[in-house]
Amino acid sequence: MSTAAPRAPMDSAVVVARNREDVVVGNEIVRHRLFSRLMHWTVALTFLIALLTGLPIWTPVFGWMAHLFGGLTVARLLHPWAGVAFFLASIAQFFEWVSDMRVEPWEKDWVGPRLTRYMRYEEDDPRTGKYNGGQKLYFWAVSLAALGLLLSGLLMWFPTAFPRWLMQLAFIVHDFTFIAFLVALVFHIYLATVAEPGTFGSMIRGTVTRPWARLHHPRWYREVTGEEPRRRP
Amino acid sequence: MSLDIRRSSASVWGSLSGLRTAPTVSKYIDTTTCIGCKACEVACQEWNDLPPVETHQVGTYQTLPTLHPDYWNLIRFNERDFDGGIVWLMRKDQCMHCDEPGCLEACPAPGAIVQYMNGIVDVNPDQCIGCKYCETGCPFDVPRFSKTTGKMAKCTLCVDRVSVGLEPACIKACPTGCLHFGTKEDMLMLANGRVQQLKGNGFAQASVYDPPGVNGTSVITVLAHGDHPEWYDLPGNPHVPWGVKIWKKIIRPLGVIAIFGAIAGAFAHYTKYGPKEARGSSDPDANLPPA
Repeated sequence: MSTAAPRAPMDSAVVVARNREDVVVGNEIVRHRLFSRLMHWTVALTFLIALLTGLPIWTPVFGWMAHLFGGLTVARLLHPWAGVAFFLASIAQFFEWVSDMRVEPWEKDWVGPRLTRYMRYEEDDPRTGKYNGGQKLYFWAVSLAALGLLLSGLLMWFPTAFPRWLMQLAFIVHDFTFIAFLVALVFHIYLATVAEPGTFGSMIRGTVTRPWARLHHPRWYREVTGEEPRRRP
Repeated sequence: MSLDIRRSSASVWGSLSGLRTAPTVSKYIDTTTCIGCKACEVACQEWNDLPPVETHQVGTYQTLPTLHPDYWNLIRFNERDFDGGIVWLMRKDQCMHCDEPGCLEACPAPGAIVQYMNGIVDVNPDQCIGCKYCETGCPFDVPRFSKTTGKMAKCTLCVDRVSVGLEPACIKACPTGCLHFGTKEDMLMLANGRVQQLKGNGFAQASVYDPPGVNGTSVITVLAHGDHPEWYDLPGNPHVPWGVKIWKKIIRPLGVIAIFGAIAGAFAHYTKYGPKEARGSSDPDANLPPA
């Protein structure tokens, strides 16, 4: 971000460009259009409320979170509604992004060796498009998790309306799903902020720098800029 | 309440001081001498100041189809055909005050359900969050959610009477002596004596219902047909539901470790690898791999 040119007064052409995606604006490239960003933050906020109201119900270890809302009774009251809002926002986000999320055959080994290489900063496949395999897998995992949380959550919202064995299953599905979700989310937040500088800005102003795009998403960079990456002599 | 607490819902750890002890108490219910007069139902409503509940005709003399947030004591009237004709199997239904209470295990609100030193299991309405999980955790289908109060309600075993040395209201009202109250030890002795009597009278299957699946209950019931508890609407092998056990004993500790582990993992990763910087635009080829 710091590499961008000093900011000039907003040009209306730039404002329009920022509402589109995959276009070059000055020294930067628009990665997420406004609607995408709003959806992302709606999902994030509703999930955060659901998380802070759900964890204290799950275990007293996180009981202190309930006090942020006025106690466990309020948390219990808010949690299902926050969950429903999270699911609805997730649906909008799903359809906003799904077209870019097709996992290509060569990306299958992201489950395993490629993920390890990526975390060691050794992964630099020039075929990496707008989203890398890890991001695509994260997308599908959280979409599935959102559905699992909704279905099990609905059962837990009306626990006496369903057979007992189904309720017991719902407890376990809800628990496993949110724990897996949360572990993945910790790394999502970590990678998108401190681990990979320049990424967070793409969710705020919508843009990334050219070097960022070239480093993380080389094929996307080529497609957007039309520049063939030069090899070092 | 001056009673010590043996167990509390959603507590992370803790044990009794052991300074004060109290014997486990129990109700004794003899279904073979119950005449279905419902005096216990009335006494329960009166002592606990419960409002009248509209009755439902279910085809028998039973007051309501099932327990109700404002009706904690219900005589169940079951009819069975035998060779000699129809037999009434009446049983006083209420909270069984399990030694291992499924409601308490399922409850996520700290202190909303407690088990006192003497074995009584009670709901603390001021801690209850109205999630109804206890209703799904109870193997006897006892706790009920009150839409009026937004809290759960059930038989307290008249803990307010017992703690000052009185017997529960239902026991006090019973005219036939089919209900007794005392220490669990004494009540078991009484029940076993009655079972021997019944066996001598031709009820070879008579037994005491004190289910081991929940480590016994503080309401023990003498059944003439002990081999068929389901004839009395009692579960054959009640136990704390498996989902609740897996949640509390396995998923919860492992989940807490996983969550903090992920955070620690991210910190460790940053410490080892640091940020993955995209280098500045002055060298457009900075990030390219060597040819």
